[in-house]
Amino acid sequence: MQLENLNLETLNLNYWAIAPEIITSLTGVLLMLVDALQKKAERKLNAVVALVGLVLALLSVFRLDAGGSYFGDMVVTDPIRVFFSVIILIVAMIATLLASQFVRDEGLPPGEFFTLLLFGTAGMLMLASAGDLVMVFLGLEIASITTYVMAGYRRYDARANESSLKYFLLGSFATAFLLYGMALVYGATGTTNIAKIGAAVNGGQIEYPALLLVGVAMMLVGFGFKIASAPFHMWTPDVYEGAPTIVTGFMSTGPKAAVFAAFLRVFAAGFAGGSAGLGSDLHTAWLTALAVIAAVTMTVGNVIAISQKNIKRMLAYSSIAHAGYALVGFVTGEYASVAFYMLVYCVMSLGAFGVIQLLARAGDRKTEIADYAGVGFEAPGLTFSLSIFLLSLAGIPPTAGFMSKFFVFKTAWDAPYNLRWLVVLAVVNSIISIYYYLYPIVVMFFRPLAPGFVRPKVSLGTAIALIVTLFGTFYLGILPNRLINKMGSGSGAAQATQTQVLNRR
Amino acid sequence: MNLITITTFLPLAGAVLLLLSSALASRGAGRGSHDNLYRWITLIVTTATFFVSLGVIKEFDLTVAGPQLTQKVPWISSLGANYFVGVDGISVWLVLLTTFLMPISILASWGVTKRVREYMIFMLTLETGMIGVFVSWDLLLFYLFFEITLIPMYFLIGVWGGERRVYAAIKFFIYTVVGSLLMLVALIAVYFYNAKATGGVYSFDIYDITRNIATGKTVIPENVKLWLWLAFALAFFIKVPLFPFHTWLPDAHVEAPTAGSIILAGVLLKMGTYGLMRFNLPFFPDISQKVAPYVMALAVVGIIYGALVAMVQPDMKKLVAYSSVSHLGFVVLGIFSFTDLAMQGALYQMLAHGVSTGALFLCVGIVYDRRHTRMIADYGGIATPMPQYSTMFLIIALSSLGLPLLNGFIGEFLILLGAFASPVPHAKLFAVLGATGVILSAVYLLWMLQRVIFGEVKKRENAELEDLDAREKWALVPLVAMAIVMGIAPMLFLRASEKSVNGVREAVLGKPAGVAVER
Repeated sequence: MQLENLNLETLNLNYWAIAPEIITSLTGVLLMLVDALQKKAERKLNAVVALVGLVLALLSVFRLDAGGSYFGDMVVTDPIRVFFSVIILIVAMIATLLASQFVRDEGLPPGEFFTLLLFGTAGMLMLASAGDLVMVFLGLEIASITTYVMAGYRRYDARANESSLKYFLLGSFATAFLLYGMALVYGATGTTNIAKIGAAVNGGQIEYPALLLVGVAMMLVGFGFKIASAPFHMWTPDVYEGAPTIVTGFMSTGPKAAVFAAFLRVFAAGFAGGSAGLGSDLHTAWLTALAVIAAVTMTVGNVIAISQKNIKRMLAYSSIAHAGYALVGFVTGEYASVAFYMLVYCVMSLGAFGVIQLLARAGDRKTEIADYAGVGFEAPGLTFSLSIFLLSLAGIPPTAGFMSKFFVFKTAWDAPYNLRWLVVLAVVNSIISIYYYLYPIVVMFFRPLAPGFVRPKVSLGTAIALIVTLFGTFYLGILPNRLINKMGSGSGAAQATQTQVLNRR
Repeated sequence: MNLITITTFLPLAGAVLLLLSSALASRGAGRGSHDNLYRWITLIVTTATFFVSLGVIKEFDLTVAGPQLTQKVPWISSLGANYFVGVDGISVWLVLLTTFLMPISILASWGVTKRVREYMIFMLTLETGMIGVFVSWDLLLFYLFFEITLIPMYFLIGVWGGERRVYAAIKFFIYTVVGSLLMLVALIAVYFYNAKATGGVYSFDIYDITRNIATGKTVIPENVKLWLWLAFALAFFIKVPLFPFHTWLPDAHVEAPTAGSIILAGVLLKMGTYGLMRFNLPFFPDISQKVAPYVMALAVVGIIYGALVAMVQPDMKKLVAYSSVSHLGFVVLGIFSFTDLAMQGALYQMLAHGVSTGALFLCVGIVYDRRHTRMIADYGGIATPMPQYSTMFLIIALSSLGLPLLNGFIGEFLILLGAFASPVPHAKLFAVLGATGVILSAVYLLWMLQRVIFGEVKKRENAELEDLDAREKWALVPLVAMAIVMGIAPMLFLRASEKSVNGVREAVLGKPAGVAVER
């Protein structure tokens, strides 16, 4: 964006285009007021206000027009944004429902928690809507900083502090990478607008391609860190283990989906295209790098997950593996498969964390898998739900996990670029993963009960969240038709450029 | 509504009913107080399913080779996946076998006292899964049902099984999943090759794909064909189980509760042989022909190895489990003979094995309930206290070892006869070697009978054993009756499958080749 043509006409202001972000931010502010003005005993109101705000934001997402770009091309409204905004808002709603019991059981201040959650959501929505590298950075920072705080929300807990600090330090490191990469890309192309970067890359006016290449590589590292792909995944297990379970559930789903959206847009629109020349070379380079990263990520995640004794650590490695599967979809260029994958992953993963939050008890005292010995039939509603989420994560039909994997595998098998080796590797990985997903089920149902088990209390909010995620897991697994058709019609445009490049091969 | 759909989902509806019943029933009542209600609901649902499936037989048209009584509803339209169900001459009997064995296994699990409601829910879900596998004419739907059967069985073994149930359950799950996930890749590949041939018409329709391959419209490249064949075959070989993929079976059988064993041996194993007939042969005719001698060799090794291992088992349940390995070897031998006779025999053997082995597991279960041991050495002379039981056990054992006029004979005889006339190289040798399996099965079964039933009552505990009660008779008598009916009137069954089996054979060898069946 050049300063000299800054006038209101060219800016193309359209407040409807940023309505979801505005609504979530305002709700966040409102929550602070609500919290300040109400009595301690009436704190249920926080969650209700947050939910109302999120529902309004969701409604405003459906009002977005297809394929516009506003505020000096800072904000775009394309299918990627719509899909991912919906995913992010669903995650935020489920997290709100689950969190209401968490803050109550642990006696934590609810006002700030929901405020942070909403500001974080606003940041993620910005990430998904960014048409400019500056917006990507802003969104990422808002989303990250709120999650750093949420990870350490249990102030008296050393593990949560460790988690928060680790997340903050390593996260800042990755953000620096991303920012430096953006700076180099700006240096090479003279713009921070993603579409204009794409035009510059393909226009053949770039004087220092090396600058661009280094910039892209650094951005790849930055994004790779944020989605927890190998070899940039080291922070994940410690951070996920130490954070309160519900926060772990939230940060392993929402921010990940949002970063995926920005990642997709920046790389597919900015660093791709053309049938020859720099754009195409760049495209091939990062596709190859991503394919390798996907392969390594899946394998590292699944193999290390096998040896985990702590269920949160296990799910942390599992989330690394799932980032790998989603990256397989990314490499194919069919973004509908990535969006569907992330939606399914978010639903089932949040469900699993929701159950674990209850089983782990206040303060996350029981997060070793061995702690759940024999609880299977003592709290059948919870344990069967957890089993279904785990089987879904493992990709066993008729759950959503199977369908999402199936779509990714199917797309990759048919990709114009030869990705069949990646499909076979992904299938082998799925086989490996079944072993560790089955393990908690074995412990819960097939082992004798340890003495002193008390059935966890399930609040209304948690119950609704679990029913919704359970329903989603089956619905998306058995009847995904409507959603797939919607996504299929929307993602065509985003896919076109990529296919063009790939067909050349 | 479509009869097939009702048959498939009636058990699932029963499971949902049980699931909801707890919400109504658990108020104010202690644990276990409604167990009988759950048992009766399940028994009624499974029996009703059986009667509905009889309706399928009644409506069945003998002159049609392809799927009939079909229902086709778009499912995932962007993929071309349909909810497409129906039966042909092969699957109709397997559906009937499933619905027939199900009420019997519910009767056999009357003695389960641990978590009855959940047990019954798993049994009913399992039934829907199994029927679904046999009636699916859509590849994706088939895969879905194929995998769905895993989860209930996993829980049935893991929760209600014997001492080493955890090990057995995990082994069962992992073995089967390894095979089926590789099949998923192969399935996607076939789907794309078929779409390419038809000019971008994406379809999971099994019947369409089969016809496209038969007419040469869909061509699968030579270099990937073998791999795809292997991916499909591995899934089914593990399920059958063909030697050397059988090691999960004895563990799963021994640890499973009686009803689990009946269903496992009676139906789940047939999903493997059914898959071979439905996918491997018609999808990859030339590869199937090429590898037939090797598969037949493995089948023969399985027949003899299974029989020899069965012979030395001190544990009755393990003996029956290994006898399954041996008998399923016959089925694979028949399928890869590519003659109508042998393939008909293979199908018949599937049904006969389902009935006989189901009954054998039931017989073992009946004495196990009384004495809590399965060791042959702990019994002896129980014909004296349990005459009715012993008679039934004897008939069933004889049917399993292939005595003429009982069901086992027809299948094995047809298979061996057909294999002898098979165009596959060395088939005669395999038939001769396979025939020794018949002799060996007589040895291990009769020897077991001799040690368990006949002779003096050596142990005092055995002298007081009670004979069959009414429930056990209700479970065992239909099986024995079926064994006799199937032995006397095989054409009753074979007529319906003739066209479809012939269709599969033609898909492999082309129309003129092979040995025609005398009618």
